[in-house]
Amino acid sequence: MKIEIRLFATFREGRFKKDVWELPEGTKVIDVLNRLGIKPEEIAILLVNGLDAEPDHVLKDGDYISLFPPVGGG
Amino acid sequence: MLSREQLFRYSRNILLPEVGVKGQEKLLNSKVLVIGAGGLGAPVALYLAAAGIGTIGIADYDVVDLTNLQRQIIHFTRDVGTEKVLSAKSKIEALNPEVQVITYNEPITSANILSIIEQYDFIIDGTDNFPAKFLINDACVKAKKPFSHGGILRFWGQTLTYRPDGKTPCYRCAFKEPPPPGSVPSCKEAGVIGAVAGVIGSLQVTECIKYLLGMDTLAGNLLFVDLKSMEFNKIPLKKRQSCLCAKDPEQIILLDYSQPVCDLKGEN
Repeated sequence: MKIEIRLFATFREGRFKKDVWELPEGTKVIDVLNRLGIKPEEIAILLVNGLDAEPDHVLKDGDYISLFPPVGGG
Repeated sequence: MLSREQLFRYSRNILLPEVGVKGQEKLLNSKVLVIGAGGLGAPVALYLAAAGIGTIGIADYDVVDLTNLQRQIIHFTRDVGTEKVLSAKSKIEALNPEVQVITYNEPITSANILSIIEQYDFIIDGTDNFPAKFLINDACVKAKKPFSHGGILRFWGQTLTYRPDGKTPCYRCAFKEPPPPGSVPSCKEAGVIGAVAGVIGSLQVTECIKYLLGMDTLAGNLLFVDLKSMEFNKIPLKKRQSCLCAKDPEQIILLDYSQPVCDLKGEN
């Protein structure tokens, strides 16, 4: 199945802005995070298809994941 | 009744059908609290004052440092070493003498936040660390006060607006807990373009004014702004049933998380 990954802000550094991966059925968000080298605790907002999701969310063909880091300065 | 001078001063507000004389009177009778007189708080306080928000509260316990001047546009070179609240007050008064400024030269903690925010119609978070942002959220949820959250780092910023209507997701619905201390680079470590603070601060004031005028706001969404790639992402948020904002407000216990993310002086 095809999964689109959209990264924002610091997560793009050394990676990419947007990419489409071919992944086996049953792949979870956490598997994608592991391959990206991003720990769940580094993520402020995790979305699947634009909606709030957890790392154990099981992905379906055509899903897109968006990852945003925390931004807390002032 | 607006005076002739006020009709001129606020004419560009009044011309807007969404504002008018009635709206301007509402703004003049409004009280807004700005927590943090730093990167975000500086443009926020100036735009609030220019717009004719009648009473502006400013809370900060820091003094102006040379490294602040790159972005904290309410403070000038001559203010280095001065308390930020006093520096901010003098600029607001010079810009718009009819604004009443109330200063709080003290840390905002779980012990004093409720008694301070109680006196205001809208609260703007201009703080530079996650513990303060969570405290402001929790206190505003508990006291049923609307607020605007803002955060900046490097080329990025984010903002959300909380409306105390029992339906709007809060900051904690989106972010749950402060990230572990040290896991997110601080402002001092990572830097920030000063104008990014201006963008997010301006968005926060726009939200505040719209709220005070009874207009729709960003409430229910997070706006994530990437000024490196010039992307604005409006992310719909979901109210979490497990979040403290779903509880009886009486039962909300305010927490002072021990370690700020950006706790070095002169950094907000």
